[in-house]
Amino acid sequence: MNFISATYMYDMEGVNKTHIKLELGNNKFKHIPMNEANTDYQAIQEWSAIEGNNIIDNGGGE
Amino acid sequence: MSEIKVNKVSPRTGTYVSLNTVGMKNIIINGDMSIAQRGTSATGLGNGDNGYHTCDRWKLLESGTPTYEFTQSQSTDVPSGQGFATSLKMDCTTADASLNADNLIRIAQVIESQNLQYLKFGTANAESLTASFWVKSSVTGDYNVHLYNYGSGGGARIISSTYTINSADTWEKKTITYDGDTVEAFLNDNTAGLNLTFTLGSGTDYTSTDATSWGSYSSGKLAYGQVANIASSTANNFYITGVQLEAGTTASDFEFLPVDVNLGRCQRYCTVFMDYGAGDTNSNRLYNSDYANVHGMARMGYPRMRAEPSLTYSSVGFSIHADYSSNGLIQLMASGDTNFRIYDILAEAEL
Repeated sequence: MNFISATYMYDMEGVNKTHIKLELGNNKFKHIPMNEANTDYQAIQEWSAIEGNNIIDNGGGE
Repeated sequence: MSEIKVNKVSPRTGTYVSLNTVGMKNIIINGDMSIAQRGTSATGLGNGDNGYHTCDRWKLLESGTPTYEFTQSQSTDVPSGQGFATSLKMDCTTADASLNADNLIRIAQVIESQNLQYLKFGTANAESLTASFWVKSSVTGDYNVHLYNYGSGGGARIISSTYTINSADTWEKKTITYDGDTVEAFLNDNTAGLNLTFTLGSGTDYTSTDATSWGSYSSGKLAYGQVANIASSTANNFYITGVQLEAGTTASDFEFLPVDVNLGRCQRYCTVFMDYGAGDTNSNRLYNSDYANVHGMARMGYPRMRAEPSLTYSSVGFSIHADYSSNGLIQLMASGDTNFRIYDILAEAEL
């Protein structure tokens, strides 16, 4: 999985995390739902478990 | 009123026809490689490129940190007179003549658990499975093809076999029958149940352990018997089509499906919208509509998928703030922006 950055997305109220947004470059993005049935979510969890990898959490802001 | 009189009713003897041996008998989706929603060619596939690239439902799997690269494409090179119009092609573009021990090149289809219940795995009545397919390669020799049972809690299991490509650059039909797994059942849900995997090259880490009967998974079984390495030269290529996996011990003729049926089956796992891949921001765009005069919201429904999909898209000059999509609806909101559009939209709920 190749991407520039990974950031948590929140609902409009800024309370609940709903997705992980990957920036792929050239104004291209990928939203991964935080759902164990989604294999991309499984993969990003494995990625984030590696030391040095980080999903950015802006607490509901962009 | 008609009347039927009989002296005795006896149980039927002989072989019963198993469920799903007629009509939708092929467990594999898109076995004729006719659907390629993401595109018909993907270049530079190698390290870190596990995933789906061209023909729907067919997943490229690599292991280690390989130096080889391939172009994968939907090809029109097919076995003559068999009714096929397309095949999946792997073309080596950067060679690795001596794979590292942890290198592995595979093409696989992962099958959803709830479609497999009639195979009765995990019971004494587990159905045998027969795989049939057409292959052609410039590299002759022995190739591994295996079944991987994800299991229902008792651990993954694997069985493998080999086939031989006898003549270079010649279409050959291969048939392999596997016993059913009497030990481990499938879950009955939307998760991965079984995969059928074709190995195209392997390092020694994966070829050492006999896997010719069902047993607990270990990585040494993944490519047992694999000798051929299609990454050995940039002159190498590998084609496959007509992949069928069915209950029983004999291979029947390939089950051709109408395009609407085949596409619909693929769309449970991958859906593209409008003119995907064209990069056309005019006719390929999904516009927003206003939401409470503050937030722009783009919404479009589509056939329900296996699970909530990952959504890939391109945008122009704005940022999506919130995603309320589900497994049948795109619903994206850009805070404070009432005029936006996205294009080249891809929804994936693959296994």
